[in-house]
Amino acid sequence: MRLYSFRYIIPQAFKSLKLNGWMTFASILTISITLFLCAICWLLVINIDSNAQQMESDVRVSAYIDQTISSEDYPALQEQIEAIDGVDNVEFVSKDQGISDLEKRFGGIDLKETLGGNNPLPDRFSISATNKDVVSSVAKAVKKLDGVDTVRYGEGSVEKLFALTDTFRKVGITLIILLGIAAVTLVAMTIRLTVFARRKEIMVMKWVGATNAFIRWPFLLEGVILGVIGAFIAVVLVLICYKYAGVYVANTISFVYLLELSTIWLKVLGFAVLAGLIMGAFGSIISLLKCLDV
Amino acid sequence: MLIKAINVCKTYKNGLEALKNIDLEIDSGEFVFLTGASGAGKSTLIRLLFREELATTGQVLISGRNIARLSQRETVRLRRNTGVVFQDFRLMERNTVFDNVAFALKAVERSWEEIKVRVPQVLEKVGLGGRENENVMHLSGGEQQRVAVARAIINHPLILFADEPTGDLDPNTSEELMKLFEQINKDGTTLLIATHDKEIVNRMRRRVLTLHGGKLVGDIVGGWQL
Ligand SMILES: Nc1ncnc2c1ncn2[C@@H]1O[C@H](COP(=O)(O)OP(=O)(O)OP(=O)(O)O)[C@@H](O)[C@H]1O
Ligand SMILES: [Mg+2]
Repeated sequence: MRLYSFRYIIPQAFKSLKLNGWMTFASILTISITLFLCAICWLLVINIDSNAQQMESDVRVSAYIDQTISSEDYPALQEQIEAIDGVDNVEFVSKDQGISDLEKRFGGIDLKETLGGNNPLPDRFSISATNKDVVSSVAKAVKKLDGVDTVRYGEGSVEKLFALTDTFRKVGITLIILLGIAAVTLVAMTIRLTVFARRKEIMVMKWVGATNAFIRWPFLLEGVILGVIGAFIAVVLVLICYKYAGVYVANTISFVYLLELSTIWLKVLGFAVLAGLIMGAFGSIISLLKCLDV
Repeated sequence: MLIKAINVCKTYKNGLEALKNIDLEIDSGEFVFLTGASGAGKSTLIRLLFREELATTGQVLISGRNIARLSQRETVRLRRNTGVVFQDFRLMERNTVFDNVAFALKAVERSWEEIKVRVPQVLEKVGLGGRENENVMHLSGGEQQRVAVARAIINHPLILFADEPTGDLDPNTSEELMKLFEQINKDGTTLLIATHDKEIVNRMRRRVLTLHGGKLVGDIVGGWQL
């Protein structure tokens, strides 16, 4: 094989793509769908992961103050809490502040208005632990104090999130495998059609002494082009969806944050193009092994 | 010996014995006709000699090498040195005359600059000068045949196999084609031409192999005998 032979090989690949119209379209579509779903799964996983990590790192214990004690006793209670082993700092959150925090988290609805002007929240202390392993022991100790009504911290919610990413991972991998097989099969069928359509040319090439490599390259290239075009379509769709999802999430649930588009787009593109390329090449290799021997 | 067949038999899958115990030698630089009635096995023999098919028993040697045992690389080299004009032309219908001939050079990876020069030259040689851009399907049968010849000789093969190259040609044009073959032969190419055109065989006074019912029944130098 000589490098400049690609001058003859590349146009052949594009001619075949045109020749196969509908099969070309179907292959590109399946590859796009496969990679689109892959990318979406991956984005969900990394976003949930990063949210879970974030939550894990700033789990705070909320100690709700018994409503029967008066606010003069609050400082004493705060000192008692600060004295507990593993407590890093203690912050007082009044019920008014609490409700406005909540309002912010749910996208600026007027909670007090909805609740008819009443604020059912008690005053509370927000306590952070020195590290996440002592959170539960701190919570227990705080609960024993007089004047503390209930204690709440993110028990189990972080674990739930991690379980969720695990499910997404498994579903994603299954989907990717199934769709990947479909995509590779379609590419293989497309290439087989090309080989059939060009069998006469292939024969002639053989009889004038073309090398196997020269005969096979256009078909390999055809598969790779299918894969890469499919990948680009998938990436464009994914990034558009992600952008709108980002805007939607930011407007509705502010305690969930999405990774910046600018930090992930290159990864998505690189991954998709590589995967598309591999699927396309794999599809054509399957076809070629079967039907293009000298 | 350039081409040698030793006790070659060919039985097709359907059980038909197309060739029976063929022994044959063709020296480098010879100009040989292969004749025989339709169905005698001419095309079959040619197909065996350029390894489109393998002999059922017996051996075909080219330059002393058994062609059934060549490595892939050697097969490619053999084919680059062997030109074939197929009985059914095997042209690419959708393409122009130029593309059909250029195809043989592209396939062996010659540069575009070379192709641009050599294709018109060879077309001139076969009497199709200036017809480069016509679609091959718009040509007459004889013209198509000459495109096939041009494609077979453009790589200056050492051996040229031609299966009925004059089948569709009028006497004048086949005369032209024979002159071309003689020229090619003078330039050093060994030719084996299957034909049942007695006229031509008689006039050319060359070595003639005759097949009958799959057997080699005649090997005469200097013409045709009835
Ligand atoms: N692929 C094949 N499968 C089975 N039988 C075949 C095949 N090719 C040729 N034959 C048979 O082998 C015999 C010899 O055929 P071949 O084509 O070699 O004859 P030919 O001498 O070239 O005839 P023609 O002058 O008509 O071209 C014929 O009887 C033919 O039917
Ligand atoms: Mg024949």
